[in-house]
Amino acid sequence: MFIIQTIILGLCLGFVYALMATGLTLIFGVMRIVNLAHPIFILVGAFAAYYLFVIFGMDPIFAIPLCAATTAILGAITYKLVFEKDAGSQTYSEMTVLLTFGTAMVLDGTLSYLFKNTQRITSPPYATDAIFIGDIFLPTAQLYSGLISIALIVGLGLFLKFSKLGIAIRATSLSRVNAELVGIDVKFVCIFSFVLGCALAGAAGSLVSFVFSFFPAKHWEWIAILMSLVVLGGMGSILGVVISAAILSVMASLVGAFIAPAWSTMVFFVALFVMLLVKPHGMFGKYLE
Amino acid sequence: MDSRKIIPITTLVILLFFPLIQFFPSVFGDQNYVIHLMLYAFYYMVMTSSWNIIGGYGGFISVGHNAFLCIGAYIAGYYSIMWGVSPFYLILLAGIGAGIFGFFVGLITLRVKGPSFIISSIALIMILRIIFDRWELVGGASGITLPYNSLSVEFSKFPHYYGFLALAIITIYMNWYVRHSKFGLALRAISHDEIRSAVAGINVKYIKVTAFVLSTFFIGCAGAIWADYLTYVRPNIFLIILIAANVVLMVILGGMGTVTGPIVGTIIFIAFNELILSYLGATELNLLFTGLLLVITLLYFPNGIVGTLKNKGKLPRFLDWG
Repeated sequence: MFIIQTIILGLCLGFVYALMATGLTLIFGVMRIVNLAHPIFILVGAFAAYYLFVIFGMDPIFAIPLCAATTAILGAITYKLVFEKDAGSQTYSEMTVLLTFGTAMVLDGTLSYLFKNTQRITSPPYATDAIFIGDIFLPTAQLYSGLISIALIVGLGLFLKFSKLGIAIRATSLSRVNAELVGIDVKFVCIFSFVLGCALAGAAGSLVSFVFSFFPAKHWEWIAILMSLVVLGGMGSILGVVISAAILSVMASLVGAFIAPAWSTMVFFVALFVMLLVKPHGMFGKYLE
Repeated sequence: MDSRKIIPITTLVILLFFPLIQFFPSVFGDQNYVIHLMLYAFYYMVMTSSWNIIGGYGGFISVGHNAFLCIGAYIAGYYSIMWGVSPFYLILLAGIGAGIFGFFVGLITLRVKGPSFIISSIALIMILRIIFDRWELVGGASGITLPYNSLSVEFSKFPHYYGFLALAIITIYMNWYVRHSKFGLALRAISHDEIRSAVAGINVKYIKVTAFVLSTFFIGCAGAIWADYLTYVRPNIFLIILIAANVVLMVILGGMGTVTGPIVGTIIFIAFNELILSYLGATELNLLFTGLLLVITLLYFPNGIVGTLKNKGKLPRFLDWG
């Protein structure tokens, strides 16, 4: 019973991690940008949710559209300032990693200067509540955030599968040149998917704000966790990210329950190294340079 | 004598005798802080020059190189307490330990290139942070405390000054040597195209891993001296991403894949950092400006100062070492 309990808690967290990493893998798939600034966008969303809750008493779940809008605008500005300049260059992929690294440092510095590095968490009424099903208890905060994450990821999947723009995004991520040949406005698709990814980060941030306690410097830890999910899922595959997030966070919560909570994040990093050792290009991914 | 050697050799002689002004406080005043800044610059030069071997020539950009700094510092700190000797005697041991660790890490992470490699280097810091925070043998999160050296205050920085100076000279020489050797040629070929280099008869894996070990060895040595200088070794001092970010920024600012780039970048960055510190204080704004500088450099001078000047043919001869 204890094991089932642990697995269910792990799954709930896993879907939140999956939502956090989805935007990242979307951006990588379409634009070949490894956005190290993604976790700090999540934090911006979390801060937006926190202040909406503290000042206006707004429920973080209903604040999701506002948080997503905040990070989407921030993402659009970042894109215009930083990434548009040399999208065609040879070493674009490596350059952008450092560029996003710098962006993350700038945003981290700004956030820590404005809000200081103290622990924060939003506390809507359901954050401390739990539902009992037999012997298994489900904290409502994690249940809600897990369910909303699944809903958002499924929504994104449907959008990518059926809408015209979604098909254009998938085509671009398969081959930039060929997408351009069949008349897709690749430039617009790139901006759109970057902004969409950032909006997803904001939505995830709003959910994160009542699941984890957060502070500006926390995003360095998330970078490694989210990146391990993206690498494991095969750089650019959304389904891969969801599956690897579910598996790894169940493993992490088992480690946390049976060994020690402090070692649980180790699972993600070790998984990343083992993955690089065994299959450098991911479980579900195609060969990418 | 080659005219371009005059300025570097003069600088070296001045640097060798500079700390002696501490013997004449009545003339020069107490210059301990200047000495601190200079040894700090040498310390970063060791890191940037050795980073340049794998990052600049090899094209493997690691933002987790302070992991090896930490390993070196912990080896020197732990054994100096256990055996009761100064970490200065353990510099080689620390370097070799970091090199062995680097060998195994390199075997794993050098299999991938580009973004995946950068991510794995971040993950390396995170793993070590978790391990060292909980490893009771080396003091857990509070780390190891080392004794102060017995010199009086005015002269207490002398061993570290000369230690770092010597290490910086060796590392810069190594950097120059790699740039002009067959080994470095192979390394630069690998950074352009691994498969073609392998076809041309280069033992890609051997070259990559050797370069990585070489670069981690010197960083480990620097860690030993830095541990003695700080008199404590603690995970939250050595295993923060800002150190690695500074190293990467310095090299890019100066010019990746050049011999003098890391030196120029280090001096300019430390001067810039001092300006920010003296005008704005040690706040989080420091992080903001470091990031801003990184973004601006990457967007407008991706070749760095030395690289840009060289492309324009305006590089002063004393900086032109390849």
